[in-house]
Amino acid sequence: MDNHGTNSDRPASDSGRAGQPPFLGLFRPRRGINPTFEGEEGHSKANIVLVTDGASIPNPQERRLVNAWSIALVGAVGSLIALCLLWPDPYLRILLYLPDGVVITFEITILSICFAVPLGLLTGLGRISRNRIINLLASTYVEVIRGIPLLVQLFYIYYALSRFFQVSGIASAVTAISICYGAYMGEVFRAGIMAIPKGQSEAARSLGFNRFQTMFLVILPQAWRTILPPVGNECIAMLKDTSLVSILAVPDIMQRARSFVGTTYLYFETYTVVALIYLIITLILSKCVSHMEGRLNYYDGK
Amino acid sequence: MFRSLCGGFVLALAIVALGGIAQAAEKYTVASDCTWPPMELLDDQKQPTGYSVDYIKEAAKAAGIDVDVQNVAWDGIFGGVATGKYDIVASSTTITPERQKQFAFTVPYYEVEQAVILPAGQSIQSLADLKDKKVGGQIGTTGIFVMRKADTGADLREYDDVGLAIQDLVGGRIDAVICDDPVAMYYVNKKPDTAGKLNLSYKTGDKEYYGFTVRKGRDDLVEKLNKGIKAVKDSGKEAELISKWMGDGK
Repeated sequence: MDNHGTNSDRPASDSGRAGQPPFLGLFRPRRGINPTFEGEEGHSKANIVLVTDGASIPNPQERRLVNAWSIALVGAVGSLIALCLLWPDPYLRILLYLPDGVVITFEITILSICFAVPLGLLTGLGRISRNRIINLLASTYVEVIRGIPLLVQLFYIYYALSRFFQVSGIASAVTAISICYGAYMGEVFRAGIMAIPKGQSEAARSLGFNRFQTMFLVILPQAWRTILPPVGNECIAMLKDTSLVSILAVPDIMQRARSFVGTTYLYFETYTVVALIYLIITLILSKCVSHMEGRLNYYDGK
Repeated sequence: MFRSLCGGFVLALAIVALGGIAQAAEKYTVASDCTWPPMELLDDQKQPTGYSVDYIKEAAKAAGIDVDVQNVAWDGIFGGVATGKYDIVASSTTITPERQKQFAFTVPYYEVEQAVILPAGQSIQSLADLKDKKVGGQIGTTGIFVMRKADTGADLREYDDVGLAIQDLVGGRIDAVICDDPVAMYYVNKKPDTAGKLNLSYKTGDKEYYGFTVRKGRDDLVEKLNKGIKAVKDSGKEAELISKWMGDGK
């Protein structure tokens, strides 16, 4: 494989021509920052080049990414404001109808994150455990939960299990979402921990750390940097998936909107506002995640 | 030989297609949310049935049109008729001034009022007694509107369908359910797994009238259906349907 595709925008002398070793072609494009690779290459040497290059000098390609984000945000906020100013009758009325739904959506998301992240960590550790029973338990949990749609899990916990015990709508929503995302995050944690070179744990063990200390003092602090971006993404996905809980009569954004539509029959207007609100929230959150990611990669620049 | 076969095939296709078009001209699609027994429900073969479904079929027969009833989720049933996905909504839709602003209705075909269901052994005297209670209902139905208008300070829970609300009432997660009285009667008296566990405690006394809903501007269709409804009423078919679906409850 030669790298004509990736290097076609570079000067001919610089580009990986046919016959050149492929790794040269792989390294070169990264000098100009390519943020989509950032997560994957957290520990490769090329990352150092990338950050020293990119952090001080504004890079055109990076600016393009910022544009995609800011175009979306400005577009969403702008059109929401424009709609409310131009046609206050339905749009402002809809917007003022939804805020208590936003509170519920955030409440469910934050509570679910609080349970799902520890659950994911436990599952991830269980999946790499040498204890066969714990390993089997964690793996089975992941297999079972990943195979069942979240909507079915919500119905199952709220309606099916109500025969045995009764929990409120929000509690079942948080339980179902935490259990579901715990399984997905388990895989993220496992991958993050496995990505730390074996030498790290060998070095820690040879310095007299026990297995527990090795994991929590040496491996996890390093793995956290690779884990955080995908966990952040999972949290944003979680926020979007909370829209499913409206079927449990939980008054989140989606349910508030549906109940508004139920009286006014303004389908287009209401769901436009709802889509814009979700978009604005997730755009802000994804910026937060990328900011955090940048902070955590700080040491890569040294 | 082959050619004549082909020709015959094409001719047959054309006849079928033409026949289809000729038939489709008089055929209307009807949407019903089959989660509202005994007005609309699914039978054992998963086909829509119930009072409204039978009624629209009889009315259509009397008016000389053909209808095809489909099961459509309540949430969005009005959106579909507005965009022309189907022609008629026969789903226990109460004629309200708000709805009349956006849709056209036929003359009334049934009369109901709102009923509050409580667990067996409990009762209320008025809607105001529901203060601080958890009250369930189906999203976008007149039961919810009545509760909102009464502004009793109850905690309103809006479910996707009334069956889920009833299940939560039986399970004890909510304190009351509000819905149309025939539906309430069905759950309180007839449905095997809920009968005996519930008490129809209170009726608002404000009459509501069901009408078939069509898109604004389809006066031709409204006229046909009105003629059909009148025929069903005059022929005594309506009384037959009432005794079939409501039994001795009415």
